[in-house]
Amino acid sequence: MKAGLGKHQSRLTLEDSMEEKIKQLITQKHFKRTAALDPRCKVALLILIGCVSYFLNGEVTSLALVITLTLFTAIGNGAKWAAKMLIFYILVACLNALLRYVSIPVLSVIMSVFGVTILKLIPIAMMGIWTLRTTHMDDLMVSLQRLRLPQSVTIPLVVMFRYIPTLRIEYRMIRNTMDIRGISDTLWKRIIHPVSTIEYILIPLLMRCLKVTDELAASGTTRGLELEEKRYALNNVRFGLPEYIVTISGIAFLAGILFLDYTSIGEIIIWRV
Amino acid sequence: MITFENFSFRYEERSEFTLKDINLTVRTGELILLTGRSGCGKTTLIRSLNGLIPHFYPGEIKGNISLDGQSLLELKPSDLAGKVGTVFQDPRSQFFMTDTTRELAFGCENMGFSREKTIDRIAKSVTNLKLSDYLNRSIFDLSSGEKQQIAIGSVYTLLPKVYIFDEPSANLDYDATKRLAEIMKCLKQDGYTILVVEHRFYYLRELIDRAFLIQEGRLAQEFTREEFCALPDEARIPYGLRTVWPERDASEYRPKTVVRESGNVLKVEGLSFAYKKEPDILRNISFEAHEGDVIGILGHNGAGKTTLLSIMTGLLKEKSGTICYNGKKLSLRQRRNLSYLVMQDTDYQLFASSVEEELSLGMKEDCTEKVTETLAALELNAYRECHPASLSGGQKQRVTIGAAIVKDSPVIYFDEPTSGLDYDSMVRVSRLIEQLASAGVIIFVVSHDFEFITRTCSEVLQLDGQDSIKNQVLTPEILLSLSKQYFN
Repeated sequence: MKAGLGKHQSRLTLEDSMEEKIKQLITQKHFKRTAALDPRCKVALLILIGCVSYFLNGEVTSLALVITLTLFTAIGNGAKWAAKMLIFYILVACLNALLRYVSIPVLSVIMSVFGVTILKLIPIAMMGIWTLRTTHMDDLMVSLQRLRLPQSVTIPLVVMFRYIPTLRIEYRMIRNTMDIRGISDTLWKRIIHPVSTIEYILIPLLMRCLKVTDELAASGTTRGLELEEKRYALNNVRFGLPEYIVTISGIAFLAGILFLDYTSIGEIIIWRV
Repeated sequence: MITFENFSFRYEERSEFTLKDINLTVRTGELILLTGRSGCGKTTLIRSLNGLIPHFYPGEIKGNISLDGQSLLELKPSDLAGKVGTVFQDPRSQFFMTDTTRELAFGCENMGFSREKTIDRIAKSVTNLKLSDYLNRSIFDLSSGEKQQIAIGSVYTLLPKVYIFDEPSANLDYDATKRLAEIMKCLKQDGYTILVVEHRFYYLRELIDRAFLIQEGRLAQEFTREEFCALPDEARIPYGLRTVWPERDASEYRPKTVVRESGNVLKVEGLSFAYKKEPDILRNISFEAHEGDVIGILGHNGAGKTTLLSIMTGLLKEKSGTICYNGKKLSLRQRRNLSYLVMQDTDYQLFASSVEEELSLGMKEDCTEKVTETLAALELNAYRECHPASLSGGQKQRVTIGAAIVKDSPVIYFDEPTSGLDYDSMVRVSRLIEQLASAGVIIFVVSHDFEFITRTCSEVLQLDGQDSIKNQVLTPEILLSLSKQYFN
C-alpha cells in the first residue's frame, strides 16, 4: 500500500516537472536587452527617428544617427544585420560622393536626389525592420490596446504585420509560375514591358490576399478576435523604467543631433573620394 | 447536443437557398461525418454552427439551430469562441501569429484570460496533444501536418465542447493523417462532440458514429458506421463518394500496358540536391520516362517531392547529375520551356482577365484555334469570357491544365492534383491525365491520394527509399506494400 502510494507520488512529481518544463518553454524570452523593450517605446522611437532623419542635412550628424542606431539595434538581437546596414549606408554615401565627378545633365541631378533619399531612408528602414523582427505580435496587440486604440485600428494593423513575411513567400511562388509559363522570364522583357510584369504579379497576389485575409478573419473570429476584453500577452508588457529612460535619452539624443546639425558641425563634409 | 430544426440558409448574393430544411440532432460525444459532392452545402452547414453564418456571411435564415438548448442564432461568433472550435482546411491561412507558442495563446488572449491562466491552458494543450516539440518555432518552418496540429492545439486551449473540422486531411500526407486520426480519437474519448467535413474519409472509418450524405443542400442519407463502411461501389459512386477502403484497390489493380517503342524520352541520372550548408535532400536519383508514362512521385512530407519538381521544371539548379531529353542534356531554361507545372494552389497560376486569354498567355503565334479546341475538350466553353478567379476550384485547375495543353508541353507535372476533390472531380482529373498521356505527354504526379494513384499511375518513384532511387512499374505487389505502409 505504502509502496503504491510512493509510486503514485513519484509519477505525480514527474508529471509536474514535465509541466514545469513546458511552462518554461512557453515563457521563454526570445528577445533580450533593447529588443525586449515595450513596443510602444519602439514605435515612438521609430516615428521620432523618421522625422529627425528627414530634417538632418549634415553628413556628420546623419552618420552619427546611423552609427548610434547600429549600436542600439546590435545590442538587441541583430548585431550582424546592423553591421550590414551600416556598411550599406557607407557604400551609398561614397557612391553619392562619386556623383560629383560625373556631369551628365539631368541624369546626375536625378541620381543625386535619389542617393540622398536613400541615405535618409536607411535609418528609418533600419528601425522599422528591426521593430518588425523583434516584436511579438501579441505584445504589439496588447500595447496598442493599452494606448486605447479602437479594435477597428488594431486588427487591420496586426493583420498587416502578420502578412508582411508571407508576402515574400507568395511573391516567390508567383515568380516561379511565371517562369514556367514563359511570361516575362528575362530581365530584358521585364524592362520593356514593366506594366504587364507588374500586372502579372499583382493579379495573383491580390487574389491570394483576398482569399487569405478572408480565411484569416474567419479563423480569428471563431477564436474570439472580436471580443473587446482586456488582453494579457505571454510576456509582461509594461511601459516601465527602462522604457522611460530609453525614450527620454532617445529624445535628448535626437534633439541634440538636430541642434548640432544647424551649427558649423553640420557643414563638415566627410564623404570625399 | 446540437439540434437543427428545419434550418435553411440563403447567402445574400445568391438567389437560391444553399441549405434546405435541415433536421439533424447530434448527441454529445458523437463523431459525425458530413460528406457529399463539392458545393453541396457541407461548408455552409458548419459555418452556421460556428457563428460565421449569419454574422460573417450574411443571408436569409429559416428555422433554428441550438446548442444545449440555447439558440445559436442569437449568439455572436465571439460568444461561441469558447463553445465551438473550428479547424479550417488550409493551415497556412488560419494562423494569426508568426510563432507557434503565441498562436496557441491567441484564443486565450482574445478571451482576456490572465497570463497565468493562458500559460496553464497552453501547457495543458501541449501535454494532451503532444505538441512540445513544436513550441517556439516560426510557423513558416512547419510542415502542413505540424501546422494542422498547432491549429488543433490553438482551438483546444479554449476548451470548446464541440470541434468542427473542415476537410482537415486535404493538405496532409499519410503519417500526418494518421496523427490527425489519433488526435480525433483522443478528443472523442474525452467526450467532445466532433463534426468532420471530408471527402477522403478513409482514416475516420473506425471513429465515426454516424455519417450524413448531403446532396444539393439537403440531408439525403443517414448511415451508421457499419452501413457506411459496407457501402458497395454501386451505391457509393452515384453519390459521388470516395472509397472507405482505398487499400482494397491494390489487389484489384491491373498494370497499365504502355507501348514504348519510339517517342520522346526524359532521362535523369544521378540527380542530387542540397540547400546551402544543409544535408542532401535528394540523393542519387535516376529514372527514365517515356512518352505516355504517368509516373507517381511518392514520399512523406519533406522527402523532397517539391524540390524534385522544382529541379525538373528548371526553377532550381541540381547539385549533381544530368537531365536529358531525347539524349540531349537540358539547361535550366530548356527545362522551363519543356515543362509545365500544375500547382496544388491554382490561384498562383492565373494571371489573365478571362479564361480564353489565360490559355493563350505567353504564346507568340496565333493560337485561337487551339484555344477553342482545348476549351471544348475541357468542357470550359461556357466560361470562355469569365474571369478565372470567379471559377470553382476544379474549373480553375482545368484552366491551368488547358494552358499546358496550349503551350504544347511534352512534360507536365502535377502537384497534388486531387487535394480537396470529391469522387467525380478526382475521376475527371484522372481521365484527363490518361488522355494527355495517350496523346504522348510524359506526366509526373506528386500525390498522397492512394485511390487516385492506383487509378492513374503506370509507374512510381518512391522518394522514401535510401539510396539510388529508381522508377518502378506499378504492380499489385508495390501497391500492397505501399498500402501496408500507409494504412497500418
